[in-house]
Amino acid sequence: MARVELVNVSKRYGDVIIVPGADLEIKDNEFIVFVGPSGCGKSTILRMIAGLEPISGGEIHIGDRVVNNVSPKSRNVAMVFQNYALYPHMTVRDNMGFSLKMAKRSKSEIDEAVNRAAEVLELGQLLDRKPSELSGGQRQRVAMGRAIVRQPDVFLFDEPLSNLDAQLRTQMRRELKKLHMKLATTTIYVTHDQIEAMTLASRIVILKDGEIQQVGTPVEVFEKPANVFVAQFIGNPPMNILEGIFETSGGSPVVRAGGSVFPVPEGRVPDLAGGAPVLVGLRPDSIKMGENVERLPKEWWCRGEVVVSEILGGQSLLEIVVDDNELIAEVEGRIEAQPGETVPIGFEFDRMVLFDPETTKAIS
Amino acid sequence: MREVSRDRIKAFITLLPSVVLIGVFVYGFIGNTVWISMTDWRGGAALSENPVKNFIGMQNYVELFSGFLDGRFRQDLVNAVYYSVLLLVGAVGIGMFIAILLDRKPRGEDFLRTVFLYPMSLSFIVTGTIWRWLLAPQGGVNLLPTYLGGKALDFQWLSSMKTVLLFDWQNLFPILLYLAAFVLILLGLGKLRRDPSRAFKHYLVPGVVLGAVVWLFGDLLPRALFMEEEHGFNLATLGIILATIWQYSGYTMALYLAGFNGISQDLMDAARLDGASDFDYYMHVAIPMLKPITISAVIILSHISLKMFDLIFAMTGPDNAATGHPALDMYLTTFRANDFAKGAAIAIVLFLVAGTFIIPYLVTSYRQRRNAR
Repeated sequence: MARVELVNVSKRYGDVIIVPGADLEIKDNEFIVFVGPSGCGKSTILRMIAGLEPISGGEIHIGDRVVNNVSPKSRNVAMVFQNYALYPHMTVRDNMGFSLKMAKRSKSEIDEAVNRAAEVLELGQLLDRKPSELSGGQRQRVAMGRAIVRQPDVFLFDEPLSNLDAQLRTQMRRELKKLHMKLATTTIYVTHDQIEAMTLASRIVILKDGEIQQVGTPVEVFEKPANVFVAQFIGNPPMNILEGIFETSGGSPVVRAGGSVFPVPEGRVPDLAGGAPVLVGLRPDSIKMGENVERLPKEWWCRGEVVVSEILGGQSLLEIVVDDNELIAEVEGRIEAQPGETVPIGFEFDRMVLFDPETTKAIS
Repeated sequence: MREVSRDRIKAFITLLPSVVLIGVFVYGFIGNTVWISMTDWRGGAALSENPVKNFIGMQNYVELFSGFLDGRFRQDLVNAVYYSVLLLVGAVGIGMFIAILLDRKPRGEDFLRTVFLYPMSLSFIVTGTIWRWLLAPQGGVNLLPTYLGGKALDFQWLSSMKTVLLFDWQNLFPILLYLAAFVLILLGLGKLRRDPSRAFKHYLVPGVVLGAVVWLFGDLLPRALFMEEEHGFNLATLGIILATIWQYSGYTMALYLAGFNGISQDLMDAARLDGASDFDYYMHVAIPMLKPITISAVIILSHISLKMFDLIFAMTGPDNAATGHPALDMYLTTFRANDFAKGAAIAIVLFLVAGTFIIPYLVTSYRQRRNAR
């Protein structure tokens, strides 16, 4: 158990900058998820924390130590790899006990630790099998077992579930969450799957091109994205972004986008002069249809023309045009609107996010 | 059903020519050699148009192993054993060591790999000629210490008359039984951790009992020879072993290097995080994982060493008894002494010894393939 701190940590390969300089503080027992598109540097940062990749600059702290020059084995971190990285010639028992064997612990001590971990992960019957005799989910469990046997200060997970099928992935995700609650160990988890990030994380770190875009709880990054990238990366379907002009004329602040005039509710009014260009962010699920429209204030109502509607069982996904603005809406219930039909819709404008079109950063 | 049988007929017809050819030219000739080895086809009339060949059973084999005149064959057999063991240890050990060094990705790895693999491309005659020259008593390797200011060595690499590790051929049976007991005990110790009861039952107890029985009652075993005849490791073969290791360690290096490269980076990272040093990684992870490669290397090298002919021919000639080899002896016996029957017997002995290496390998690899399905 330990906190982890990155101070201006950077990574370069020759002239190619992978991570220009990352600052991050991870509290004890926190479950941190690094998420971002391929090549965003999330695995590189994880490997730098593990010590598998030398850092080009900055400092990494684990607990009270600066570990820049500490070898991977002395950092007391355990890592679970995407392809499990089990030793194929060893039994499950030997795989799990390998780190303790390397630490020259006694045989009885190793057996006890392995049995305890096997009990936690329900691996008891598999201990004498080889990895090739296990299913994908079982191998994943063994890889986790190997990590918990040594009681590390920090767990590192590098896309551990991406080789599993969808159903198993959901199941393992829950088990991971339970495991973290049981062991209460600082965990850093890398994924490109935003659902894993949203469901597992105490805080999410969103990365792009090696730079941290935002750090926050799942709800924070969903409701208050720091920039357009985060707004569109987190959430599926992504946030609707419209170009508009901020205006204060006529008393109440509004944003004009296309033919629409969106009122800006109190608390969301930016510190901008009238006539400033902005980007308006509206989550697909902040658009309401059917009876839910009536629960919103009247001035948030308008009408839209349905272009396509898709029913996904409990909810519906619609493409609608509101005054020349194309929007994606994710609404509750089965909305059976015909293409071309004009329907009443409502916006939760209190969830509107405004961005600066130059910097693409959110305007507070 | 008719489809299947037509397929079978087609397959049979396609395979027939090679089956017939291999049947005649490989197995037929092996059979013919076995037959000849049981006759008395030898002597002055052996080359006549219609030589006399009388069936004499196993007599040629009995003579080879216990005959008064066939000490040369027995020494050659002992040479072949030492030669194989030292070649295996040397070529596998050095090849593995170089592979580990190159696996660390030093600068110029590609170039070095070619350098180490290069001796493989030479023919044994060329290797033999080069090394005979390098191992000359007053040149080459013996002069190396003088470059460091030392005294030149005077070791006779190819013509030393010294012999070490002597044993009496009379005691062949007890020695073989001791060896069997030793191997059983070693295997038992190896399996002790995984399955102690089986290790004791099948390996340790039989091994110890066998050793004890031979020690107590070994005198009752028949003598392999009616007279004393000492054989041992002739130091003159060192030069030949050195040249063969030089030629083949690059080959084992290539085998291991390919194996090491095939191990995923994640596995190496996992081992590092588990606290394994580089030494531990190779010792506990990489080398055990490459067991199939080690087995292949052992099989390939042992059958090469058992069939060795041209290298020895080039380095010391066929007549140097100290560096003899059964394959050379076979040649001399057959074509110089015109003793076709005994030459055939030597050939069959070599064939059986090579079989003891290769047949278990084929059986296990066949089983593995069947299990993998």
